[in-house]
Amino acid sequence: MADILFSRPHFIAFIILFLLGMYIMVVCLNLVKKLIGMYIMQTSIILFFITLAVKADSTIPIIMPSVSALTPEAYANPLPHVLMLTAIVVGVSTLGVSLAMVLALYRQYNTLEEDQILGKVK
Amino acid sequence: MTSSLPGFLFAIPFFAAIVIPVVGFTNQKLCRPIALGALLFLSIVSVIALSEVVSHGPLSHEFGGWAPPIGIEWVIDGLSGLLMVAISVVSFIALVLAGPLVEKELSGRVIPFYSLSLLLITALGGMVLAGDLFNLFVFLEIGSLASYVLVGVAGGRSLLSAFRYLILGTIGASLYLLGVGYFYAETGTLNMADMALRLPEVLDSRAVLTGLIFIVLGLAIKMGLFPLHGWLPDAYTYAPNSSTPLLASVVTKVPLYAFVRIAFWVFGIDAVSTQIPILVVLGWIGAVAAIVGAYLAIWQENFKRMLAYSSVSSMGLFMLGFSLGTETGFAGALFYVLADTLMKAALFGVAGAAIYQCGASTVTDLAQLRRNMPWVLAALLVSALSMVGIPPTAGFFGKWHLVVGALEAENYFAVVAILVSSMLTALYFFRMFQRMWVEPLPKPEPLVLETPLPIRMGLGILTFGIVALGLGGDLVMGLFFESVIPKGF
Amino acid sequence: MIRPHDSVIVHTLARVFTPIIQLFALYVLIHGHDSPGGGFQAGTLFAASFLLPIIAFGIQGSLAALEKRAIILGGVGILLYAGIGLLPLLLGGEFLNYGKLPIPGMETAALRHWGILGVEIGVTITVAATAVSIYYSLRERGEGQ
Repeated sequence: MADILFSRPHFIAFIILFLLGMYIMVVCLNLVKKLIGMYIMQTSIILFFITLAVKADSTIPIIMPSVSALTPEAYANPLPHVLMLTAIVVGVSTLGVSLAMVLALYRQYNTLEEDQILGKVK
Repeated sequence: MTSSLPGFLFAIPFFAAIVIPVVGFTNQKLCRPIALGALLFLSIVSVIALSEVVSHGPLSHEFGGWAPPIGIEWVIDGLSGLLMVAISVVSFIALVLAGPLVEKELSGRVIPFYSLSLLLITALGGMVLAGDLFNLFVFLEIGSLASYVLVGVAGGRSLLSAFRYLILGTIGASLYLLGVGYFYAETGTLNMADMALRLPEVLDSRAVLTGLIFIVLGLAIKMGLFPLHGWLPDAYTYAPNSSTPLLASVVTKVPLYAFVRIAFWVFGIDAVSTQIPILVVLGWIGAVAAIVGAYLAIWQENFKRMLAYSSVSSMGLFMLGFSLGTETGFAGALFYVLADTLMKAALFGVAGAAIYQCGASTVTDLAQLRRNMPWVLAALLVSALSMVGIPPTAGFFGKWHLVVGALEAENYFAVVAILVSSMLTALYFFRMFQRMWVEPLPKPEPLVLETPLPIRMGLGILTFGIVALGLGGDLVMGLFFESVIPKGF
Repeated sequence: MIRPHDSVIVHTLARVFTPIIQLFALYVLIHGHDSPGGGFQAGTLFAASFLLPIIAFGIQGSLAALEKRAIILGGVGILLYAGIGLLPLLLGGEFLNYGKLPIPGMETAALRHWGILGVEIGVTITVAATAVSIYYSLRERGEGQ
């Protein structure tokens, strides 16, 4: 078991970040902290995808003049990189919408703690 | 063979969604005609597309000219063509219905409302037509962002519900993306058709199982399947009345379609019922959801909240029907999905009309409808009868086929669940009618004016549609068995 | 009201850095074909180059009037993207198939090159306009909207 864990450190990093993001979202009462947790969780998934793209002794997936022939083994898999560009943009848009919502909530209730907002609503 | 019809199905609402803010800053009155015109055009094109598909077989559109599996393709086959027609027609009627409501409640935010509604419909169309798992994720997120803002656009109490919906919806989409990542790691492709060819070899690997579980969890959060439905009651109750007909009728059905597509086309009925028995588990969850949703709806005083729990119950019935594993069950569930888009649009339209005309938001206050709003009352009556499942409405036809399918699959627990949820539905709807007609009104009320023309027209078309779908059910079922249902049952 | 910063270092550096950031954003946009970069990154850099003077000097007359234009520019950017994508669809090809753009005298590879550059410019305009308009909407105001 330990050899599997230590030969794939990127999976450990992904799991820790994912669970950290979920924990922050569940436990913290401040709305902005929940958003931070959400973004950490999305970033962990992006990290997971990028680590799927790595090959041994490969470089970034942009055609380099220094590599003599156009060999696919010399470059990392470009598809997850491209997918994650899109996912990053989606994450940024979600963050933008959520920050706008948090701002509107602040202007309405003058606080950012969820329990205080729930108290004012009832 | 590539055809340009799917491209048009994407481009029409997308262009309208972009043009509305640019034009609307100069003249705000142009927003609504542009939106309605675009949706009418979209409905016509989607009906043409469906007839093409029924006569000639599936159409595919390769974006950028790159052939799949390298390129992204959009596929219209029977199921997606049918859903595209349903989405465009029902959203057109829902936007017609919402006209007076938008002017009253969202007076400063007309441009964002129409633009976001059209963006939502573009995204729903993209989800339905996507032939690629990652493309589905992108459109899922676009649609979800538009619906978060549509829920919260009125300000006030709706903001907190929209925020909660945002957090839960993003978790759901992230879980879906994680599942897609696992599938990509195992099969090396994201195209649905290509993955269907490559999955049988790797079906017993743990990565595929985990990926499937993540995808199901993510989509279950998005569709509001019990017990992951936590965002749904608040979001539907506090969202402005202009957005709820659109949100409640189509937005939760498209993640359900995505699940059906992945389970039955990418995996195949055999894989998901025997080798990875996820359909069995979802069948139980659906049955519990149907009963619990209907039970919770009985105790609600707010009419929209009651309808929200009724939606939870309906989603359970859909999931139950799709996981029965028989052709009749699948067809019945699909028919009930179509009927439910009409029913929910009508019911939430009634709720909006009641609040608009006489401020009636609770079930007891709805009794005021009997005074002078015959169209609204007729729509409420027909939709309620259809939800319970009384002939000749569409709901009866769908539930009948669901029960027949369950009997064919010898799943008696499902039969019991369907019947119990129907009885509970009858309980809360007939309780409402009892308060409306049997009990006298509490005090003499001032005379209530008739609802504006768009609301009457929209509700009238929906009512007619529910009855027509029920009467013409045989024709629709014939269409299903011929071109829509997946092979291999 | 965003108040101007009161340090002369910030003022001077903002004056110096804004054109450098814009030049770098243009570089990132145009070299997106051959190095990391492209539309989104360049748009964010452009937005930063607009926001740096706002943070340093505060919002005054002409910068405040940019707000309404910012949202319209966002729409213009997407229209550019969708227009370049739609032209091949109307001419019988597929959406975003740059090889079928109706520009005479270029072969397919060059058409795809310029098509991608065109949509990246559209994306840059939209992203920059959106980021700037988000920042404008975060200001304190008299009445909310």
